[in-house]
Amino acid sequence: MADKIFYFLTFLSLISAMLVIFSRNPVHSVLYLILTFFCLSGHYILLNAQFLAAVNIIVYAGAIMVLFLFVIMFLNLREDTEPRKGMAAKLAAVVSGGLLLLIMVAALRTADMSTLNNPASFDSQIGLVENLGRVLFTDFLLPFELASVLFLVAMVGAVMLGKREAGERNF
Amino acid sequence: MFYSVVLLSIFGILNLFLGFLKSRAWLLPVTLLFLATALVVTLTDWNKSLFFWNYMMSTDNVSVAFATIIIVSAMLILPLSRFYFPNAAAPVPEYYAILLFSVVGAILMVTYENIIMLFLGLETLSIAMYILAGSDKRNPRSHEAALKYFLMGAFATGILLFGVAMLYGATGTFNLSGLAQYVRTTLVNGASPMLYLGLTLVLIGILFKLSVAPFHFWTPDVYDGTPTLFTAFMATVVKTAGFAALYKILSVSFTGIYSVWWITLAATSVLTLLIGNITAVYQQSFKRMLAYSSISHAGYLLIAVTAMGQTSQSSILFYSLAYTLATITSFAVLILVNENRAGESFSAFNGLARHNPFLAFALTVAMCSLAGIPLTGGFFGKFYIFINALEKGLLFLLVVAVLMSAVGIYYYFRVVIAMYMRGSDDNAVADRIIVPKSYAAVLAITTFLTILLGVAPDLLVRYF
Repeated sequence: MADKIFYFLTFLSLISAMLVIFSRNPVHSVLYLILTFFCLSGHYILLNAQFLAAVNIIVYAGAIMVLFLFVIMFLNLREDTEPRKGMAAKLAAVVSGGLLLLIMVAALRTADMSTLNNPASFDSQIGLVENLGRVLFTDFLLPFELASVLFLVAMVGAVMLGKREAGERNF
Repeated sequence: MFYSVVLLSIFGILNLFLGFLKSRAWLLPVTLLFLATALVVTLTDWNKSLFFWNYMMSTDNVSVAFATIIIVSAMLILPLSRFYFPNAAAPVPEYYAILLFSVVGAILMVTYENIIMLFLGLETLSIAMYILAGSDKRNPRSHEAALKYFLMGAFATGILLFGVAMLYGATGTFNLSGLAQYVRTTLVNGASPMLYLGLTLVLIGILFKLSVAPFHFWTPDVYDGTPTLFTAFMATVVKTAGFAALYKILSVSFTGIYSVWWITLAATSVLTLLIGNITAVYQQSFKRMLAYSSISHAGYLLIAVTAMGQTSQSSILFYSLAYTLATITSFAVLILVNENRAGESFSAFNGLARHNPFLAFALTVAMCSLAGIPLTGGFFGKFYIFINALEKGLLFLLVVAVLMSAVGIYYYFRVVIAMYMRGSDDNAVADRIIVPKSYAAVLAITTFLTILLGVAPDLLVRYF
């Protein structure tokens, strides 16, 4: 049963991820991206990582995608205003992207993951909130706290760039 | 080192609160005091070998030295801001706070022992730089710089993270020594291809931030559009921290598979040297020339990383210091010339020597150092790096580097010729530039140190 769900979710996420790239209308792209995030959350639940699944939906599908939609509607992007790329650029992109894909498929095909997915040593509870929290607040406490500096910089910057200065033109 | 990170984070927040003060006069001295305190705290870790917080950070003499370079260059760049913001409404406390936070990020990048810390440091530094690149809100070129830097930088970060995920998939650890252990054991058993893929992607992510060709396309536009004060910060602190990080991950974790990655780095460094130096020749703007020169110096530093050996960390250290000092001098003079003569092209420097001999002398010393003329720090920086390459037998790298330094002399001396040989054409330009005291102090310190490093390099080198 679980592997059938896995293949279904994988199929769905691949298809929706491709539609993100191929659809001409940016709003459709964003909607497909939301679908992709839901499929990925399904994968997290299959891996018994409920917390990650919930965070993925709340943060990505919820907050960031709404932001994307706002920006796209704000900029009023349409197909006819889309910049056209030359044939050479398209060809170069296809070649370089295809090379990366080729190398990754080759690398992952022969990858030996036995140290990580050995059923005897695998702890099925590892993705649950309790274990995650314990690791986060003991082993990884320093990066966890320093991430706040990172967010503070971003916050100060957003306020600084967004604040209206005296004499500035209003919309 | 852990304590200087904590202190600088707290000082950054304090700096934000200093914005409530009516008077701006205290802001700069207090920020410099903060940095000096952090510097003293950093130096107390000299000759100690410590690990912090479950092997997240480590301290040794090299990381203390790199952190010292970073903090000192921040201390040299900050005084240049004194007359830089004519706009009374400019949010100076926020600028200073973001600079302090970015120093935190840079210190994390030189002291990390776990790839998560590397990522956090890199992102803290990069996000601070994206913001400062766009801080000139009324200038469309500043917007362009911020947007380009942000979009491309976010993409590079994605590639870096993908590589980190691959490394974790192959080894099951984020720890540098854990990675090294995996590499050692797999030399017998044969490593997972995922390790090589992950290493390549991580290298791409870091090399992008260092503006190494073929990931250099953002550099000229971003350096050009960013306010000059922050360009100076970008060209010095980001480069120093980035090379320290690159050297650390390769030397601690991946020396076992040197044969895999050295060709990649050698090829990128040849490409960087060629593109950086040859394109710099065609520039008409001094600021754009400095952007290409920073690309070419990344190429020289990459030679030292490629020729990894006993002495390469000391030569990276020496080169970063010499490059930092000379770059700060050039940007400081550029700010003054641009403010007074309203131009960033080479012709704006015409006849500077007659009216401002001190400025012309400082800039000449800086250009000599960047070009690698003897009696300046840059000469010994290049000398040590070339010796590294020679010891490792990388002759072709050496040949390319020597040829490209010869090209470098041409474009660095264009500004010297403009200052000493060309007269100024119109009278408005002939006015003497009044050098503020803070600028004079910074220029005196950087010029003195550049010459000192060139006359007595042993003062620094004997410690490593």
